[in-house]
Amino acid sequence: MNLLLRIATILSFLGHYPSYILGYLIETIIVIIFATVVIAGMVYIFRKYMARVQMRIGPNRVGKFGIMQVMADGLKLIQKESIMPKGRDDLAYKLAPILIFFGLIMGFIFIPYGPLAWFGDLTVSHSDVSLIIIFALIAIMPIGEILSGISSNNKYAVIGTLRGIAKDISFEVPMMLSILAIVMAASAKVSNPLDINGVVVAQSIPFAILEPLGFFVFIISMAARASYSPFDMGESDSELVTGNTTEYSGLRFGFFYLGLFGTIFLGSMMISTIYLGGYLGPFTNYMGFIWLLIKTLILVIISLTIWLSMPRVRIDKFINFGWKYLLPIAFVNLVIVGFLVLGGIA
Amino acid sequence: MIEIKEVEEPRRVPILGSVEGMFTVFKHLFGKPVTVQYPEKPSVLPDRFRFRIYLSTDDCVGCTLCEQVCPNLTITMVPLEKENQRNKRKIYPSVNFGTCTVCRNCEEICPTDAIYLKEVFETARTRNNFFYSPEDLEKHEAEVKR
Repeated sequence: MNLLLRIATILSFLGHYPSYILGYLIETIIVIIFATVVIAGMVYIFRKYMARVQMRIGPNRVGKFGIMQVMADGLKLIQKESIMPKGRDDLAYKLAPILIFFGLIMGFIFIPYGPLAWFGDLTVSHSDVSLIIIFALIAIMPIGEILSGISSNNKYAVIGTLRGIAKDISFEVPMMLSILAIVMAASAKVSNPLDINGVVVAQSIPFAILEPLGFFVFIISMAARASYSPFDMGESDSELVTGNTTEYSGLRFGFFYLGLFGTIFLGSMMISTIYLGGYLGPFTNYMGFIWLLIKTLILVIISLTIWLSMPRVRIDKFINFGWKYLLPIAFVNLVIVGFLVLGGIA
Repeated sequence: MIEIKEVEEPRRVPILGSVEGMFTVFKHLFGKPVTVQYPEKPSVLPDRFRFRIYLSTDDCVGCTLCEQVCPNLTITMVPLEKENQRNKRKIYPSVNFGTCTVCRNCEEICPTDAIYLKEVFETARTRNNFFYSPEDLEKHEAEVKR
């Protein structure tokens, strides 16, 4: 039983096909609402956590404990005038924030959310190659970043984008190699190792214990993907105003802002599904989704702690790190996992 | 000849320092915030904090010493009809708080301790006029017409 079947059963008076089509639509809308709520919650958690760590109080004026602060900020961003630079590349300039948000939301659709009580399996879209699809979808977001940088006719935006691309290239290869090791380890146990759900099912021992090197590489890659503090050289607000988002304002800037926080949450969710067993845990059939959320929240707090405690890495140092350390570590991890799979341990 | 000693630095494990820093940051989560929510919660003032000038018109003898000692003409004497045997000239100090620097010279020099300062500091006004007449100086801050 899954969520789609539940919705379709409720709508069964419409006939077979209309009920399923409407069911898919409702399910997708639920995911989009979930993503938006989660991103808003991320912004609130970040602001409150940063404030408490810096011995401040944080937002506490709008609503109880400042919960409605994010809504107020969103309203403010919607009301603001969208100022556009002269000499911009209009289509690319307007397309970039949409692409970033699109890649993020599409990433949410393929995550295996696991079962939850009466609703059954909450996963929206199943595919035999969802592990590859999800990385392809996340790879849309840098395109938005590049478009925003080169289209806004601003030197800071261009420099920020160049740094961002250099960073992206240097961590993408080790990230995909660590995923390859995951697929190898999963293929020993399940018949569909490219399905992200199959990867979860294969984790009777979490892959984080089986391949700690790959776990390390993947965590660093996800941090660099979300581009928060140690890896925010694309943004570097002290020297390039805010990098590729310099010329954006109003709701378009809001999309970039949401994209940053959404990527942190999505990255944490992917680490917990791929390396920490996702929805697996005690009473999986009833509260698998809760387990996923708990693991994700712990990873989010760790990510925010990394963000708040580390200074920005210089861009050439990160490229060095990516090519000279992460890539060899990923290869070593691949070899180790190969031996483990051959030896029948995995 | 100065000998330069080579100090051996302790060997550092690469990532351990970052993890230590993260732990330090995380520990502050349980600390008490230093922010004071002022208008809702009263602020904690030091014991000897003084700001607002008060005047006891019964004790004032109209000697004008406070006016003379005031460094920036904050205090001026104004006439006031009041039954006070000791104040023959019937003049009392008035204060313009817009220029007062709270030097407390007036409090120090007053021979009868008629002028004294208290820790009240919420003297904001809607009108651009910080002038306190002798009667105002006698009242509590809440009773003064703003």
